[in-house]
Amino acid sequence: MEKDIVDFALEYAKGKYIEYAEVRAQNQKLEQLMLKNGILEAFLSSVNSGFCVRILAEGGIGFASTNKWTRDEAKAVVDLAYRFAKTARRKDKIKFAEEKAVETTWEVGQKKKIEDVDSETKIEQFLDADKALTSHTVNVPARVLQCIMQLTEKYFANTEGSRISSFVPKIAAFCFITVAEQGKSEQAFEQFGYSGGWEAFKGWRMTEKLVQDANILKDVITKAKAVKPGTTDLVCGSEVTGIAAHESCGHPMEADRILGREMSQAGRSFIYKGGPFWIGTRIGTDVVTIVDDPTIEHSYGYYKYDDEGIEARRRYLYKNGIINEFLHNRETAAKLGTRSNASSRSVNYDREAIVRMANTFVLSGDMTEEELIEDLKNGVYMVSFTEWNIDDKRFNQRYVGREAYLIENGELKHPVAKPVIETTTLKFWSAVDAVSKNLKFDAATCGKGDPMQGIPCYTGGPSIRLRDVYMK
Amino acid sequence: MNGVLNATEEIVKKAKSLGADEVIAKTTFGKYRRSRFSNNEIDTTVAWNDYVTDVALSWKKRVVATQIRDFQNVDGQLKQLFGIAKVSKENPMFGGFAKGKFKHAPSSADRKIVELEDPSEYIFGAIEAAKREAGQDVNSGGILLTKFEDVYLVSSEGPIGVDSRSAIEFSIRVFSQREASGHSVECSSNLRNFDPSKAGVEAGKIAGLAKNPKVGEEGVYDVVLAPLFAGAMLGMWASMVSAFSVMIQLSVFVNKLGQKVASDIVTIKDNPAPYSVSHRVFDDEGVPIKENVFIDRGILKTYLHNTSTAKIFKTKTTGNAGLVVPTAWNVETDVGNMSKDEMFGGIKRGLYLTNTWYTRFQNYVKGDFSTIPRDGIFLIENGEIKQSLKDVRLSDNALSLLNNIAGISRERKHVHWWGEADPPSLAPYLLIKNVHMTKSK
Repeated sequence: MEKDIVDFALEYAKGKYIEYAEVRAQNQKLEQLMLKNGILEAFLSSVNSGFCVRILAEGGIGFASTNKWTRDEAKAVVDLAYRFAKTARRKDKIKFAEEKAVETTWEVGQKKKIEDVDSETKIEQFLDADKALTSHTVNVPARVLQCIMQLTEKYFANTEGSRISSFVPKIAAFCFITVAEQGKSEQAFEQFGYSGGWEAFKGWRMTEKLVQDANILKDVITKAKAVKPGTTDLVCGSEVTGIAAHESCGHPMEADRILGREMSQAGRSFIYKGGPFWIGTRIGTDVVTIVDDPTIEHSYGYYKYDDEGIEARRRYLYKNGIINEFLHNRETAAKLGTRSNASSRSVNYDREAIVRMANTFVLSGDMTEEELIEDLKNGVYMVSFTEWNIDDKRFNQRYVGREAYLIENGELKHPVAKPVIETTTLKFWSAVDAVSKNLKFDAATCGKGDPMQGIPCYTGGPSIRLRDVYMK
Repeated sequence: MNGVLNATEEIVKKAKSLGADEVIAKTTFGKYRRSRFSNNEIDTTVAWNDYVTDVALSWKKRVVATQIRDFQNVDGQLKQLFGIAKVSKENPMFGGFAKGKFKHAPSSADRKIVELEDPSEYIFGAIEAAKREAGQDVNSGGILLTKFEDVYLVSSEGPIGVDSRSAIEFSIRVFSQREASGHSVECSSNLRNFDPSKAGVEAGKIAGLAKNPKVGEEGVYDVVLAPLFAGAMLGMWASMVSAFSVMIQLSVFVNKLGQKVASDIVTIKDNPAPYSVSHRVFDDEGVPIKENVFIDRGILKTYLHNTSTAKIFKTKTTGNAGLVVPTAWNVETDVGNMSKDEMFGGIKRGLYLTNTWYTRFQNYVKGDFSTIPRDGIFLIENGEIKQSLKDVRLSDNALSLLNNIAGISRERKHVHWWGEADPPSLAPYLLIKNVHMTKSK
């Protein structure tokens, strides 16, 4: 990475009538392998390196990027960003919240460096996972196993004096399997993610998890019965708790969405000034506390400083059932009279940083999972989900169980076929009466932005219990 | 620009000299500009220039690929790639890259798109058009994208091609009230046919009609899908007709070739024609693109193929090769014989749905899924819009919808929006019978 060109671009930008400028450079080594039904379909290896310039001038923002590392190109992108900022001709001038300049270097360590593991070993380990699936007693006719490894070096500099260098290795696996039994099929998707080195692969226990998924899908086909529609109690496993926290707490608490900046794509939020929900409004029971925390070491959504150079910290989104703190970047923070809480992230140098979650999860309680279930006369235990979605104000959501069981008199009975909860954010979190202590995380890729930016994150939480919800 | 083609050819020659059996290199010089607006003001304009050569090579049926962006060290990157090929695993299903010399149609790209200095007037014009339709206090947001790519492709197996690809896309969502909105797009490959104020008018009209929505009711309805919604469904079906999707069972069309998968009036094709924002004259193997009818009067006729998947399915490539897997470029339905008003006229109690998002499946092979309508959901009674609705979900099956299509409009619109109405399409109004709707309880 040629930091002198970054510094040159920043100096050149300073010569213009600007309120603020930053240059963010990124060098990313990428390796990607894909196995399709046990065959290596392709192995991709590439390096992507470039930088962007973001300028605030006359209350407008301009952004330009390039992967050409020359001083002439640097001047060209600064000129372009400056021109775009001015052509916005905004009446409501954009401002950034005041923040201190930072000079630092940070990185994520690797016990076993990704770059030291040869390609052959990487391929072999995924082939072994595939072999375990095919040598198992369950018929898994379609399998896709993908691995993506990214070594990302960044350098951030702004006109306020910040200079931040970082290095983050990330590894992720994406698996999709189809189980066929008795002329029927069921499918499962699993994602694994880690910030760190190749040691992740062992930690994931991916093979074991996929074989377990295959067994579960077989049980769904051969043993599951439909749930009787009606009001019942529901225990959500951590995977279901996590997706609900992400969709119906993390997303609606993004301040850019609240302010309307995502209105034509990901939408707005049921939370808005002057509406029924705002900071201080109850959205769930006392036992519901949902946080977003980028500082969990080696988490998939880990970062120490965001892409505006702000130090990361835990954010309490819903606190004891009350709407507490939005996710902010410097622009939204200024608009709502507060400080950034380091939620600005970008997937690449050629994409603007926008407000994003990192690792969103429900804080644990003090009960065991068994204690959640043993009190229930009738209910459903939804361990994992398949189809899910939520409306663009983040209020009406639906989760369909993949692995689920009937609960009778405090005991788990037979598997349940595709139980559905379709409810509102308020009803969901207001129905929670107990939270267990078994906190777990799942890796996910969160979609937002235009162009779309799929950003690494964790969803998570413990098992939680909901009373009197409608299931079908 | 012959220099770029020569440099691309040099990459192929170097890879061959290292021992590669087959090589494709595709160089793209892309210029992209995207203005985003909300609350009736421009939030930011993002520009990115990309200079990249995609290289795919095979060695003893081992397939590896890279993207070269550092043109000072091409040799080093190719050697590294070839090194990976040597420790990689054989792909017995790799059928080679397309062979032969092909004649490509001339590009019809509009270079004026890249020369647009300040496209913000397009945005302000469309916002004003929306205000004229739905009132001065409406709140609009959206994007304006311009794209221009020069593409140079050289394959060791014969194909050589030069193409230019241009697009201009405008998307506007207009809120007349907090929960009343309309959305429309204007998409074109050239400036001649581009009028974003039309999108402003349409979005404003829908937003005006959508005022004071009531929560909808669960049930089974006959529905009319507007082109933006129909485009999302066409994209869903087209992605499932890629041979790759079929092979990994990410498709409702597995083992259904030659079978009836839709009602008799349904003919759907892939056709990256000159009007389309994804127009092109060759695919990523250098094979000339063509029109591929994949559902013909209800019968599934073909999957979309590259050379390798075509060999597996004992057929010929359809010109849909992406770098690794086959993909649909631009989906079209054949022209129908109804007007939108005629569709409405036949409905005693039904729904008119103008847009959707967040489509997710329980099981792709079975096709059970749900998607969430937005931006104008209307109850139709006796052929007329009676009430604006909200908070309903379409929860049905991908094959059932195809089989229940009872009407296709004469009018079609070129639509592309975000990740929802994607890939781009030439989408009609669709009348679909017996569609299941659900809601939160």
